[in-house]
Amino acid sequence: MSDLAKKKIEVSGLSVSYGGVTALDSISLDVYEHEILSIIGPANAGKTTFLNCINRMIDSIPDARVQGTVKIDGDDVRQVRDVNALRRRIGMVFPLPVGLPMSIYDNVAYAPRMAGKTDKTRLDELVERCLRQSALFDEVKDRMGDLGTKLSGGQQQRLTIARALSMEPEILCLDEFSIAVDPVTTMRIEEVLKELRKEVTIVLVTNLVQQAKRLADRTALFLDGKLIELDSNEIIFSRRTADQRTFQYVQGLFG
Amino acid sequence: MSRGETEHTDFSATPMTEASHSRQKIARAFLGIATALLLLPLFAIIGLLVTHGMSAITAEFLLEAPTAGMTAGGIYPAIIGTLWLIGVSLAVAAPIGIMAGIYLNEYAPENWVTRMINLAIVNLAGVPSIVHALFGVGAFVLFLGLGTSILSASLTLAVMTLPVIIASTKEALASVPVAFRHASWTLGASRWQTIWHIVLPNSVSGILTGVILQVSRAAGETAPIMFTGAAFYLPFLPQSVQDQCMALSMHLFTVSTQVPNVPEAFPYATALVLLTLVVTFNFFSIGLRTYLRARRKW
Repeated sequence: MSDLAKKKIEVSGLSVSYGGVTALDSISLDVYEHEILSIIGPANAGKTTFLNCINRMIDSIPDARVQGTVKIDGDDVRQVRDVNALRRRIGMVFPLPVGLPMSIYDNVAYAPRMAGKTDKTRLDELVERCLRQSALFDEVKDRMGDLGTKLSGGQQQRLTIARALSMEPEILCLDEFSIAVDPVTTMRIEEVLKELRKEVTIVLVTNLVQQAKRLADRTALFLDGKLIELDSNEIIFSRRTADQRTFQYVQGLFG
Repeated sequence: MSRGETEHTDFSATPMTEASHSRQKIARAFLGIATALLLLPLFAIIGLLVTHGMSAITAEFLLEAPTAGMTAGGIYPAIIGTLWLIGVSLAVAAPIGIMAGIYLNEYAPENWVTRMINLAIVNLAGVPSIVHALFGVGAFVLFLGLGTSILSASLTLAVMTLPVIIASTKEALASVPVAFRHASWTLGASRWQTIWHIVLPNSVSGILTGVILQVSRAAGETAPIMFTGAAFYLPFLPQSVQDQCMALSMHLFTVSTQVPNVPEAFPYATALVLLTLVVTFNFFSIGLRTYLRARRKW
């Protein structure tokens, strides 16, 4: 990524603790526009907490204390007045798919409707486009009225991706999306993400080192709430890592 | 291995599995007996009421006012009075209780104030109804000057049923998975949009069940209405909430203990009508719950 690329997300000195227990320890990193940045690291490294700080879902965790800043397009997210508008700019996909208890169509139309977009023809177009983008449309086009919660796990995960795209977000955060998904679906979603990076900036938290290698432009290693190393994939997945632990983690020697 | 030579030893019972089987049988027998004992008084009550009271249930009994010092005529004003009382108390308690339940479950921060409120609700639910009656006299009849009226009695019943309505509303809301709320917030929906579009549609059966069960409880109470609005005998029907009224539970108490020369079947018949009313509400609630559960979406 060249130095001229625009910084989409700027994180500086971000620390989070839950009831005194440190989850993130002064993380500073930038995410460039239209890149895929992947974050790898063992369980409990603070990866999910990091994502929760970007869309301020951290607010809903009662005993969380946040320090430092997260800026999107130069604006501090914690100064944002309308947190719902902020969240509409950031698509979020969780490890376990959560289909909302409503029809497939309504699942995808939910976010635009809540944002006040109710025009039927526009919604129809949008729902179809999002379902196509998430490679689900062909499987569900004849049963859009069925419950989203009754789809299989892999289909539900693609439904949540379609839902995340329905807000036409600038940033897409995925948190270990492949945990509940079969390998074939995982590959299909990976293809989708490669397509999407033309339009959105993607932060991909993954427990699969090979997934980071396949998809990302740059990869960051988190360990015990600290950023160990962040560099281009070329460096991270080579012997030339700046930190010995990165090499070891990528090689599967610990974690 | 050809047919007929199949080995059975692997699945035959050892002394240990036989012992656990017999323990299982004993446990099952005791639990079954406990359930049967539970049903016994229920059937006994219904049987008693039907055998003693059925003969008195006529169109006249249901549709006319008592006459000749309660020893003849019917219980129509009491039926209407009970409907007034539960209607008005429901109109007060249901909206307040449901809204408070929503606030406590969806909005209230996790701190000591909230914990104190929750503790107060649990304790209020355990206050005896006669205490609510005294509170009703003091607060509504005297302090607010509402006098002995349907309004005072209904407000007293509302205060009595509120804690349980709040608690059952909270419980119904809490049964909706938190993951749905998180997914909705993440999509930029506000808290209220999430409650209205996700949480309430999926908890309405539980909320309504809790409300209706409290309605039938209110219908059967005597103490809270005795000093606040229920009349011993009224020759006319109430015209507004400022009037007093008769009530089934109060009437049952009256004809059982306060008036001489009442036909033997009258108290039983009154109780039978009250029980039928309550059971009807409960069946309605069960039906509603079954209907809404069947439409459950996850």
